[in-house]
Amino acid sequence: MIDFKKCCLNNGLRVIVHEDNSTPLAAVSLVYMVGARNEDPELTGLAHLFEHLMFRGSESVHDFDDQLQLAGGENNAFTNSDITNYHLTIPAVNIETAFWLESDRMKGLNITEESLANQKMVVLEEYRQSYLNQPYGDASLLLRPLAYKVHPYRWPTIGKEEHIKKVTLRDIKDFFHSYYSPNNCIMAVAGNVKADDIFKLADKWFGKIRMRKVNHVSLPEEPPQNTERKLTVKRKVPANALYKAWHVCGRKEPSFFTLDLLTDILTAGESGRLHKILIRGKKLFSSINSYLTGDLDPGLLIIQGRLMNGVSYEKAEAELNNIIEELKNTTVPDEEMEKVKNRFEAEHIMGQVNILGRVLALSQYEVLGDASLINSEIDMYRNVTAEMVKDAAVKYLDRTNCNTLYYKISGTKKL
Amino acid sequence: MKNQKSVKPPVNPINIEFISEPEKITLSNKVPAYIVDGGNEEITKIDFVFRAGFTSEEIALQSSTTARMLTEGGSENLTANEINHILDYYGITFNVTTDRDLTIISAIFLNKYFNKALELCREIIFNPRFPEDELKTLMNRRLQGFIISREKVSTIATEHFFESIFGKSHPYGLRLSAEDFLRIKPVHLRNFHSRYYTPQEMTLFVSGKTPPETKELLDNYFGSIEHFPSDRKKTPPLPYGEKKRNLFIPKEGAVQSAIRIGSQTIKRSNPDFISLLIVNTILGGYFGSRLMKNLREDKGYTYGIYSYLVSLELAGYLLIATEVGKKYTQKAVKEIIQEIKLLQKEPVKEKELEMVKNYMLSDLVRMFDGPFATAESFRLAWESGIDMSFYKTMAQKIKSITADEIIHIARSYYDTDELYTVIAGPEK
Repeated sequence: MIDFKKCCLNNGLRVIVHEDNSTPLAAVSLVYMVGARNEDPELTGLAHLFEHLMFRGSESVHDFDDQLQLAGGENNAFTNSDITNYHLTIPAVNIETAFWLESDRMKGLNITEESLANQKMVVLEEYRQSYLNQPYGDASLLLRPLAYKVHPYRWPTIGKEEHIKKVTLRDIKDFFHSYYSPNNCIMAVAGNVKADDIFKLADKWFGKIRMRKVNHVSLPEEPPQNTERKLTVKRKVPANALYKAWHVCGRKEPSFFTLDLLTDILTAGESGRLHKILIRGKKLFSSINSYLTGDLDPGLLIIQGRLMNGVSYEKAEAELNNIIEELKNTTVPDEEMEKVKNRFEAEHIMGQVNILGRVLALSQYEVLGDASLINSEIDMYRNVTAEMVKDAAVKYLDRTNCNTLYYKISGTKKL
Repeated sequence: MKNQKSVKPPVNPINIEFISEPEKITLSNKVPAYIVDGGNEEITKIDFVFRAGFTSEEIALQSSTTARMLTEGGSENLTANEINHILDYYGITFNVTTDRDLTIISAIFLNKYFNKALELCREIIFNPRFPEDELKTLMNRRLQGFIISREKVSTIATEHFFESIFGKSHPYGLRLSAEDFLRIKPVHLRNFHSRYYTPQEMTLFVSGKTPPETKELLDNYFGSIEHFPSDRKKTPPLPYGEKKRNLFIPKEGAVQSAIRIGSQTIKRSNPDFISLLIVNTILGGYFGSRLMKNLREDKGYTYGIYSYLVSLELAGYLLIATEVGKKYTQKAVKEIIQEIKLLQKEPVKEKELEMVKNYMLSDLVRMFDGPFATAESFRLAWESGIDMSFYKTMAQKIKSITADEIIHIARSYYDTDELYTVIAGPEK
């Protein structure tokens, strides 16, 4: 049970506090409800580039990282399709420094042409390192536009190279004023702090920041997919790989828990059905995984695997399909349901051992509507029945709803 | 209303409350067990640490394959599928890692399954079967993973770096080949297991909110593991670097080059180690480091650059690692060397020194935040044969080190003519 207190400032900033006096540290998480989904299709990658610039100077602070490190803090940030998250840990005695730094950059940024040019270069190197210079690195870049035709989820958070290059200071300013406001932000604090003190600090540092009008554009809904889609690419890789993506529900819908357990039945731990049958039993795959993208709007259920040398796609795909069909035709045995629920529970508890894990969870559950989900989510999973898993498999894992990427060996590079 | 500039709050001194030495118990078969009790959650972690790494191998991949086969091959009483099912059923996280000196097997579990977890660990770790079929399947999978990883400039550069600084013929510098994956047989695993998974090679580290009956249960499950006649291989000789200090490994089509620069250095037991750790941190050990500021935040050559100081049983090493856009490769190497030379020449300014000191002190706080972090920090010191006083000394040294000492240490331990430079990337 994670206890917390919550308040909302007059300017709309929501503040959540969890006290834990067993640690000398404090952790802070700020979620701005803006991500790649809010980008212009001709200027993708802006939300993520913007995240980089949040560290390059605000109204009174020239050097965010230096000031934080000076107070013993350490931070990181990430951007996805839906949100941008900034988080840090710091000795609790210096918690006010975190309020100073975070409130200053919520007030306003002070970005120069040089900083912008420099961070574009850094982001382009990130793009090369993570997507272009890795075997199979571009698979996710290919899968998105195959699965999504109208929704902004069709482009990746990292964006397109030519879009990143053409971002201007004007774009950065507009983006800031459209989305970086107290009423579009959730802040969570955990650690060796007192809730009342934190609420006072929040009011002192953030209270005077004016509420801003948030640019809420309604996003186009992805129409149902009625025919199966396939894409084949050839790359210089040593093994064939297979990716399958089905459209499923959004993160806030009840079916999410059922689908999450469904992927656990397939590949959780080393005992999942796909590991047992396709890797150890039939020796068709060298590795295989399944997961939900977990996006706010309807996301994807993805299964991805690498084929053993000499195994044909036909054989691998047919055996994979058999396992999926079995989920639709036969209910999962009780013991297996119990296994995936127990495993979820253990992981849920272990994920919250440290205050950073707890503060990230609290702020992200608040994005879903209520931080108290941190305590009730285990019950949501416990309430899933084998019948519900079967129904979800029938509803979502249909061939016409599926996108398949064949990522094939080209040339002579073979095992 | 005027837009008031915000006033920076004061920075308070960072205090560290050190825990004393963990409680040590000795099981009936003389296995030492260290217990770090604490935390809020009803979770326990056990690390089974065996002095059995690459240096103990008679054939490449022997240590990692023995450890991996514990859950891939099954035990006397359970098949691999049964083992994996039971682990997942009870939500037990079971991990194996093998490195140059050690094999570490870790289990993390909820306290309500304490008995079950211990019983299962004993069965998996001490009664394994090493069936040929399952071994073959595992090695075919690992071979594919190996070949895929050789497509990455980062992996190519790293393995050539270790081969260069530790030598081709030393287990520390061993570079694997595809044949190694096909050579290993069940008999190698049985030999390795019976020689090293024994009480005389084992130490336990237990951490978390441990139940009151922990000691008794540890002895019940692991105090009766039998001794075997010890025929441990002799400690291998010290590793020596190769003559060639500059290496370029071409990788066709790569859009970035991986750069690895470094050398062997002192171990944790050396009195200068902590000072060197501070110098390494200033150079590239944290986000505010000089290398990060120069190559990322100023020049935009890279997404990130870090330097590491690592202590192993037979040697320590310094390593600077980064991936840079291919057209910046030579410029990046030049800047890295420049930054080292600058540390040897000009005293660190007060503000930077204060920043790195506070960063390192708070990092020390993080190293003792909760039972799991504390046990790991203790284990690191234990690996070097030293106790927790090492960390007290570290806190004192961080507080007291001067700009002059930093110059002295940088001059003593970084010889830019002796550094190895390994680059993997596209040809010009």
